[in-house]
Amino acid sequence: MRHRTTLLAAAATAAALGLAACGESSLEATGDLDSGKLTIYSAQHKNLTEAWGQAFQDETGIEVQVRYGNDSSMGAQIVEEGASSPADVFLTENSPAMTTVEQAGLLAPVDAATIEQVGPQYVPSSKHWVGIAARSTVLVYNPSMVAEADLPASLMDLADEKYAGQWGAAAGGADFQAIVSAILAEQGEEATAEWLAALKSNAKVYQNNIATMKAVNAGQSAMGVIYHYYWYRDQALDKVSSGNTALHYFKNEDPGAFVSLSGAGVLESSKRPEDAQKFLAYLTSPAGQEVLRTTDVKEYAVGRGVESDPALPPLDSLEAPKIDPFTLNGPQVIDLMTEAGLL
Amino acid sequence: MRSLRLTGVSASHPRTPVLHDIDLTVAAGTTTAVLGPSGCGKTTLLRVVAGFMRPDAGEVRLGDDVVAGHGTWVPPEKRGFGYVAQEGNLFPHLDISANIAYGLPRRERRDRARACELLELVGLPADLATRRPDQLSGGQQQRVALARALARRPRIVLLDEPFSALDPELRVATREAVAAALRHEQATVVLVTHDQAEALSFADQVAIMHAGRFVQVGTPLEVYRTPADRRSATSLGEACFLAGRLAGSTVTCALGILPAPGAPGSGDCEVMLRPEQLHLGAPEGGGVLAEVTRVEFFGHDALAELRLADGIGTVVRARTTGGTPPVVGQRVSVSVEGAPHVLGSAPAPATAELAPR
Amino acid sequence: MATALLVAALCVLPLVVVVAKALESGAADAFALVWRPRVGELLRNTLSLVAIVGLLSTLIGVGAAWLVERTALPGAAFWRVAFVAPLAVPAFVNSFAWSALIPGFEGLAGAVIVTTLSYFPFVFLPVAALLRTVDPGLEEAARALGHGPWQTALRVGLAQVRPALLGGVLLVSLHLLAEYGALEMLRFPTFTTAILDQFEVAFDSRSGSVLATVLMALAATFLTLELLTRGRTRHVRLGPGAARRAARTPLGRGTPLALLAVSALTALAIGVPAWSIGTWLSRSEQAQEPTNIGPALWWTLALALVAALVTTAATLPAAWLVTRSRSWVAVLLERVTYLAASLPGVVVALALITLTITYARPLYQTAFALVLAYVILFIPRAMIATRAAIATVPPELGDAARALGDGPLRTFARVQAPLMLRGTLAGSALVFIAVSTELTATLLLAPTGTRTLATAFWDASASLDYAAAAPYAAALVVLSAPLTYLLLRGNREELS
Repeated sequence: MRHRTTLLAAAATAAALGLAACGESSLEATGDLDSGKLTIYSAQHKNLTEAWGQAFQDETGIEVQVRYGNDSSMGAQIVEEGASSPADVFLTENSPAMTTVEQAGLLAPVDAATIEQVGPQYVPSSKHWVGIAARSTVLVYNPSMVAEADLPASLMDLADEKYAGQWGAAAGGADFQAIVSAILAEQGEEATAEWLAALKSNAKVYQNNIATMKAVNAGQSAMGVIYHYYWYRDQALDKVSSGNTALHYFKNEDPGAFVSLSGAGVLESSKRPEDAQKFLAYLTSPAGQEVLRTTDVKEYAVGRGVESDPALPPLDSLEAPKIDPFTLNGPQVIDLMTEAGLL
Repeated sequence: MRSLRLTGVSASHPRTPVLHDIDLTVAAGTTTAVLGPSGCGKTTLLRVVAGFMRPDAGEVRLGDDVVAGHGTWVPPEKRGFGYVAQEGNLFPHLDISANIAYGLPRRERRDRARACELLELVGLPADLATRRPDQLSGGQQQRVALARALARRPRIVLLDEPFSALDPELRVATREAVAAALRHEQATVVLVTHDQAEALSFADQVAIMHAGRFVQVGTPLEVYRTPADRRSATSLGEACFLAGRLAGSTVTCALGILPAPGAPGSGDCEVMLRPEQLHLGAPEGGGVLAEVTRVEFFGHDALAELRLADGIGTVVRARTTGGTPPVVGQRVSVSVEGAPHVLGSAPAPATAELAPR
Repeated sequence: MATALLVAALCVLPLVVVVAKALESGAADAFALVWRPRVGELLRNTLSLVAIVGLLSTLIGVGAAWLVERTALPGAAFWRVAFVAPLAVPAFVNSFAWSALIPGFEGLAGAVIVTTLSYFPFVFLPVAALLRTVDPGLEEAARALGHGPWQTALRVGLAQVRPALLGGVLLVSLHLLAEYGALEMLRFPTFTTAILDQFEVAFDSRSGSVLATVLMALAATFLTLELLTRGRTRHVRLGPGAARRAARTPLGRGTPLALLAVSALTALAIGVPAWSIGTWLSRSEQAQEPTNIGPALWWTLALALVAALVTTAATLPAAWLVTRSRSWVAVLLERVTYLAASLPGVVVALALITLTITYARPLYQTAFALVLAYVILFIPRAMIATRAAIATVPPELGDAARALGDGPLRTFARVQAPLMLRGTLAGSALVFIAVSTELTATLLLAPTGTRTLATAFWDASASLDYAAAAPYAAALVVLSAPLTYLLLRGNREELS
């Protein structure tokens, strides 16, 4: 009996391994690690990344493959992968995750010519990565639920009891965490912690910016903290998710007027550093920046002399707080949010 | 046709010894029944012989070949046994002919005629060949299982309580059909059973097993008439035990002075009588007087429980055949036919013990 | 035995990695991370969801099974299929359907409705199979002893279906523990969604590992509870004579009511998703992202097929051991495989990432590692079906084949394998469905540049682009539907 069991087990395992081997060989054909392509880890939107990748491929003949994720998790993933990361290029929506990778010493210096293509305010002093697009914090609100005159003057005022139950945010997402990092930089730890505590008890937490905006549009929340481009994109389409809403800019160098920088960096460990640098050069070139307009993503361009989408208010009219993106502290924000019970 | 010989076989389940030092010889072409209560180890014995279990010690020899023991181990499929289990164990996904042909070489499996021949051999109509096992009655399934085992012309056939799951009518008919088929094949047979009638009627040799040991091995008549001990006696049928005193070639007991040919020496002893050895007569007919206290009527015979008028009220049972059975309260005289079996000197029981039927 | 242990070791691996990571900077630190209000909130949410959905699934599952198998409900055969069909609609597709239909559909109430409708078949299936085959003798005895029909159903009937019921409820509970997509969409935070939040902010954080450890403890508690309350019942029915079928109770004037109830259930469980997906399919011009089903479908099919076969094959030795031997090692082995499966895909994926980065670099981000994760995650599903399949093959049949001259391998090929085929296929079907709808492990482990129907659906539905998500949802349902039928057949077979 025991003898038989062993034999059977052996047979079954052999079969399993055989199958696994077949499965592996058939799948490997398309999913190989070292595929000869430029590997991009992208936390940027899929359609934007694809448009950039396709145009770059058409221009240079260099093939790209993209792995999608979110800012923070992908940044941490690259850190965990360390020197043997398969990634050649890292694209983010906000700067804190890029800073995390940079501080781990995993980014290579960006070519000087690439740096020259964008405004000096969009490049860190280390010159280990480069800004590729920008987005502004806004308050989306439903005028049928809250009058313009009753809107908070500052993002910080949302902590006020009178707004309890009236606002929402995608607190779990990297976008929002970048905004919190701006609050932290501007207002200090204590004020940030208080504001987060108010968020925990007063606000609704949504899955992402779109869900937040849709909730405001549907009247489930009166106000929501989001980035501007979700609203403009929907306005340009069918207004299905934003037809009942309006935008409020805090301006006045308020933390709520924070403009977040999307970045691109080349991994120190890249096996295709030249192709990777070419890709960054392309992204910041007028042609690459033009894609921001042609794809209708409604993010701000950062290239020298490149116009942003005309539907957007000019970037320099937003009175954004002057925060050095490299002082934005991602890990501390996460600690504060964990303490507040948001994570 | 091969003989089977077990020498000093011991076997155990994890942490529980089951068989102790078993010796058994089954002559070629004969049938041996292993009889014992459930849990005594008889199925384990069969599984050791078949090769489903390895013995801890001892040797199993098939003809002149050792199949287990002395570092030799022949797996079951190489031993060439036929094996029929209690439930028949037909393969539910195969039809009857495919079941029967299962053990045949690939070429012969398609031969319908062979399957039909075997069905006939076990007394089943050939048109069952295309049925599925679940469309057959229990008795039919058992016979198909036997046909399947015989298809390979096994040297030895092992039967593990093959008839116990059948109802009594079917049991006798199936047993007879199987016995006939086995005789026809001149197979050497080992039958495991807990049914004494089955053992006695089916076998040339009966081995009585208790707690993993053989108590007695002999012909059916030997073990029935002259059991080695009480246990052996009761496992083969009703018996009454009486205290006795040997003197020369006679023994004195509650039923009088009876012949004891070849009995050893003299002194206190225990004697065994089968109920059919006791005959009832009119009270004035001589013999020991008794009163009928209970009657169990079976149709073809009856068992009468008697209280002897011997002063201490010894109770015995007598089997009465034919005619009218006695009635409770009736006074009778009891006489003994033939000689009682002397079990040897043993502490005399206060009253005779009655074995369960 | 060795292989079975290997399989168990494979399943334990992620558990060890998770616990090790949780304790990385000392037990006190880990304790501080456990002992905070957020964890209490998650625990409350998770437990209330499990309790409510467990209870509702029991009521609906047992009620439906009784109506279909033991009463003269018109069209029982149709309803039997209808009550298994929800398995073809993944829970997150179901939640998509409901929230696309009713804006503001969310929270505990939403989570309860969606997950109950998605998971009650896990109770219905085994209970129905048992009710169909259980000998009515005991119930008749109870009636003869003076119990009324209701009393009999409660005291005897329920006791008889208990093992199947408990197994089903256990399955529902474990699914709830690991459910991410549906609950995230419905804004109902549980341990698993919180672990995903942790993953999003910090990839492989210690805090996430701590939460996963608590989740594991929860799953272990459920597994132990089930084991303790199950008792030592059920086995292969051997012996001659067919088991009697129970007589069907006439419903009489209750028939319209019963029909109304089963129709309503079907409408909610299948009608709503079908209608919602259909509506959005017809509005495909509203999609903001173009839909490209081809590659996603191909990857889904390939991954699910390979994973289903490998998982079934890997399960066989362990299932064999567990069914044939009742030693505590075997029981422990079985339970361990369940434990790994209660973890959300992301936790197993992160553990595998840690392991492959550190020890098996060439396997990192390959389909191999992904299939491995699927095997670890879905072994229990294959295990349940394979065990049942093995249990239907009496060991004596193997002996019979050996005595007829077949060696162990030929015996397996000619006797055990054909007899187990249908049951194991049902197990493979379960794994196939599970893999094709798996989300989080796939997101993390899939080779760069690939996506499956589930991840593509998730991308689209996360931006609430219902029109773009609908084709993927429809493809997922269409893919699962025939396998659900296979499941129904396998289940019918294994207990009869």
